[in-house]
Amino acid sequence: MSLPPSARAAVVMLAAGEGRRSGHHTNKVLLPLAGRRVFTWSIESARRLVAVTRTVLVIREEDRDAVMSTIDREIGPPDVTVVVGGDSRHSSEWQALQALAPAIEAGELDVVVIHDAARPLAVTAMFASVIDAALEHGGAIPVRDQGHLAALGEGVQPPERVVAVQTPQAFRAAPLLEAYRQAEADGFVGTDTASCMERYTDVPVLCVDGDAGNIKITFPEDLFLAERLLAKADWDLSGRPRQRRESAMSHLRDLLPHGERQ
Amino acid sequence: MSHEEAELHCEVCGQLTDHELHYAGRLLDSVRCTRCGTHVELSARALIPAYALDLEQRLLSKPRRMLRRIARDPGGYLRQLPRAVLRQPRKFLSEFRGLLRR
Repeated sequence: MSLPPSARAAVVMLAAGEGRRSGHHTNKVLLPLAGRRVFTWSIESARRLVAVTRTVLVIREEDRDAVMSTIDREIGPPDVTVVVGGDSRHSSEWQALQALAPAIEAGELDVVVIHDAARPLAVTAMFASVIDAALEHGGAIPVRDQGHLAALGEGVQPPERVVAVQTPQAFRAAPLLEAYRQAEADGFVGTDTASCMERYTDVPVLCVDGDAGNIKITFPEDLFLAERLLAKADWDLSGRPRQRRESAMSHLRDLLPHGERQ
Repeated sequence: MSHEEAELHCEVCGQLTDHELHYAGRLLDSVRCTRCGTHVELSARALIPAYALDLEQRLLSKPRRMLRRIARDPGGYLRQLPRAVLRQPRKFLSEFRGLLRR
């Protein structure tokens, strides 16, 4: 996919985490993963696009030293703007948008892309796809059909079409900033970026095709899978010639669960 | 073998819990929930060949990674070089020992 040459986008990487913030453990986005830290994979993918001219990384204060040394080691120029997030996703997005506000108001940015840094497998084509859709329609979120859902017992049947929403999500910069300013004034806290846009603007938000491989690091098994898939992009741990992406998932059979499972 | 501690969701506990993660070089070897003890590890059959291939890639990519770091911060690189060189034998010995224990 080719973006208009004049398109300018900022990528906001949310890396402040959802943990208990005990401060004693590594934020999962700082874990090693296939030769780099989790959060730098998607920064690298996004910045392969010429359209991405700004990068804002939202962190928690206690991770600052580790984040700065990782940026120094793993991310090349241009500079990454680092801001400290709030106690919710909405608040972290607001902090990032305030950092971008001067550039948005000066007309230097057309689109803002919001991405969860715990999704290291978001590929460059997906960033391009949402930026392109946001330029054309106003907003874009990647979704995956969840057609296999069924109610348990006598439970209420799920709606006919259920989708799982992924990131990166992209929105036109000026309406997004305005929506978050109004939300701040009203004390509204959205569950995600699209919910805030839908409440305060009439900008349409388009659903684009998500990617089954764009997993979020949540369970321990996700780290094993992500490692194999990412390694395949650069070197093959199986020792076989390069194969289709699906075949990398076959390595899951090598995971040995121990302990009692209920 | 190096290790990290991080919060991940445990399927058995059904919540976010502390986990210990063990690495063989750059590769994840095992993860254990410190609350319930649930343990997931890569089988030796998969880990050892993967480690060998990863080691080969680490060695082949080392000159490129060194040049990138020199270009970015020559002074800092030279300052850290002696300690980094002295650390290597012990690091690899620890990795090999960890693998042989599997």
